[in-house]
Amino acid sequence: MPLLADAVTLARLQFALTTMFHIVWTLLSIGLSLFLVAVEGLWLKTGDRDYYRHARFWGRLLILNVALGVVSGIPLEFQFGTNWSRFAAATGGFFGSILGFEGAMAFMLEAAFLGLMVFGWGRVPRGVHFFATCMVALGASLSAFWIMVANAWMQTPAGGVMAGGRFVVTDYLAAVMNPDMFLAVNHMWLAAVETTLFVVGGLSAWYLLRGRQVEMFLKSFKVVLLAAVLVAPLQVFLGDASGRAVARYQPAKVAAIESHWHTNPPGEGAPWKLLAWPNFARQDNDWTFLTIPSGLSLLLTHSRAGRVQGLRDFPREDQPPVALPFYAFRVMIAVGFALFFLMLWTLWAWRKGALTLDGLPRQRRLLQAWVAAVPLGYLAVETGWITREVGRQPWIIYGLMRTREAASPLPGATVAASLITYLVLYSLLFLAFLIFARRLLLKGPDLDEAPPGRRPSPEGP
Amino acid sequence: MSPESAPTTLALLWFGLLGLLLFIYVSLDGFDLGVGILSLFTRKEERRGLMMASLGLMWHPNQTWLVVLGGMLFGAFPPAYAVVLSAFYLPMILLLLGFILRGVSFEFQAAVRYHSLWRLAFGGGSLLAALAQGFLLGGLLSGPRVVEGQFAGSVWDWLNPFAALVAAGLVCGYALLGGAYLVLKTEGELRAQSRGQARAAAWLVAAAALAVAVAAGLRHPELTRKWLGPPLAFLVVPPLTLGGVLLSLRKGREYAPFLWTLGFFAAAFVCLGASLYPCLIPPGVTIAAAAAPDHLLTVMLVGLVVLLPVMLAYNAYQYWVFWGKVKEGAYPGD
Repeated sequence: MPLLADAVTLARLQFALTTMFHIVWTLLSIGLSLFLVAVEGLWLKTGDRDYYRHARFWGRLLILNVALGVVSGIPLEFQFGTNWSRFAAATGGFFGSILGFEGAMAFMLEAAFLGLMVFGWGRVPRGVHFFATCMVALGASLSAFWIMVANAWMQTPAGGVMAGGRFVVTDYLAAVMNPDMFLAVNHMWLAAVETTLFVVGGLSAWYLLRGRQVEMFLKSFKVVLLAAVLVAPLQVFLGDASGRAVARYQPAKVAAIESHWHTNPPGEGAPWKLLAWPNFARQDNDWTFLTIPSGLSLLLTHSRAGRVQGLRDFPREDQPPVALPFYAFRVMIAVGFALFFLMLWTLWAWRKGALTLDGLPRQRRLLQAWVAAVPLGYLAVETGWITREVGRQPWIIYGLMRTREAASPLPGATVAASLITYLVLYSLLFLAFLIFARRLLLKGPDLDEAPPGRRPSPEGP
Repeated sequence: MSPESAPTTLALLWFGLLGLLLFIYVSLDGFDLGVGILSLFTRKEERRGLMMASLGLMWHPNQTWLVVLGGMLFGAFPPAYAVVLSAFYLPMILLLLGFILRGVSFEFQAAVRYHSLWRLAFGGGSLLAALAQGFLLGGLLSGPRVVEGQFAGSVWDWLNPFAALVAAGLVCGYALLGGAYLVLKTEGELRAQSRGQARAAAWLVAAAALAVAVAAGLRHPELTRKWLGPPLAFLVVPPLTLGGVLLSLRKGREYAPFLWTLGFFAAAFVCLGASLYPCLIPPGVTIAAAAAPDHLLTVMLVGLVVLLPVMLAYNAYQYWVFWGKVKEGAYPGD
């Protein structure tokens, strides 16, 4: 198969596989650590034991997630050197320093305080433990910040010029604060939070459906719902802003996302299509389904006849793949709205007094919907990631360096071997996680666990 | 940026800082990996559990020092990062596999009923990671083929007898660190066992270090001249520190063997750095040629100068909280 003989394609597949595996664990590492700050804080403030039980229970799920996030994250940092050595040599000064700051500022913080958070119960004063939990959350979020700075810079490079095959930084701050940075960081961070909310909410709903520790899980369900009221609409808003920013900075990407081939003539709006089938050879769509006239212009420019560049305006060698970003994007949007409406439905039910011990038995459908929503956040993040990264092609640094020119000069067989190794190992790890997570959830929270006193006992826990 | 030009002060400073980060990584994760390697030579199941427990969750921040080092190397000497990682693709993958095995063994053994398999993953992962690091170092010292700033050799170049010698030496060195750590962290039979293992490892390290020095000296006469010239520190300090390790082990000291072992590693590091200078990757990539521009090095320096003490402080706090002998049933702790 010619595809498998191509080391660059294999290296891209390996990067996609390892990133998409890693991203799964980072979502809960970010969101759940923040949730833990909330419940531990609530426990310290109210003295309600249920919040302490929540802290211990969800803490165990966090550890599983962080474990896999760490072991799958380290290969990523080194992959820039192993598989993309020409990219590394060309951009290292800036790109490497960002990864260095991520390690020193965020990764280490999370790693070190996690030990205190896990083993520190009863060994350190309550306040110190709470501080450790906060630092774990801060580390995870800072990590996301630096990684998204690096990624956003690859989308909208700024602060320097390409000279002699190397990116020369002239303005470090401008490179960090590149045009895509703000939206990229916030959209991703909020995605992690939103995914976590619907995971915690969905799992709480599962316990509620089974009538296990109803009082305790009703509390987490309400905490989650209150947060979702803020997060779900904000994410829809950020998504819209991101779409318009992409149209401005990466017009070829947005054309691919919408399978939009022909630039609309002046005075006439570009249509939005729900479904389409792109044909690269013909540089057009084979068919389209459900078209909204002027829809695309309205979405991207907020005006009826706003100009949206079509793919045909770009040379073929500069066009990204179309079908993958087009469909991945639609899945992401669908999930975003589904979660938004689930939040509204629940809010309405709450208003009608359904979220009480007596009202709950009549809300089976609602609770089942929450359980079904557990994987949706993950789905949205993965498809969003595909949209973002495949849409950037054929560039590794948008407009400056092509992916093809960035790979290490490695034999295809070597990359194929490492790709297969990762594939097998990651499948096993995923399976192990499912087994352990299932066991943890079936066991449920430990109700006999006594909260530690204000001062650490000399014996430890 | 010609290879002949002398490195700037900032580039030299970064060479030293990366050496420091590497030393911190090797001393801290070295004992984690060493405990893992020694666990493979321990029959009793509960004793292996105790060995793992002695590392608590500290293996995690310890390992993270390599991530910090990797990022900083990427930023400060981009071409060196690119050459090292692409030249040593396979040892790198093996190293990461070793880390993955070790990492999940720690996290998962708490969640399972049958521990022995995960403890084997702990030992096996540690040994794999140590061997991979050894081959990487050995391959680096044998001088990868670099043309126009890109690695131009084969993916198997690192697999040579000299690198194997270095790898064996590093595995023994980590075992020594691990043994000395267990001496201060455990008591009773396990401590007695660790003392014996550390002593054996120290002799093996001495033999391996001598063999590596002779092999390298024969191949590169200019190195021999550097080593034999004044102030003779190359010849005196490493054997002296290793002697301290053996003597303190025989006297049954608690902390001294570990401190002497750190001294030995520090001496070996300084010797290594001085032997490499002015190259970063021998023979072709010099510090001067690989360094990022000074203004970037300045930005990174400011960042690291602020962050390094903070990182060291909170890491030290963890050690302080979990100080003392490890007890039965200390893992998982909750």
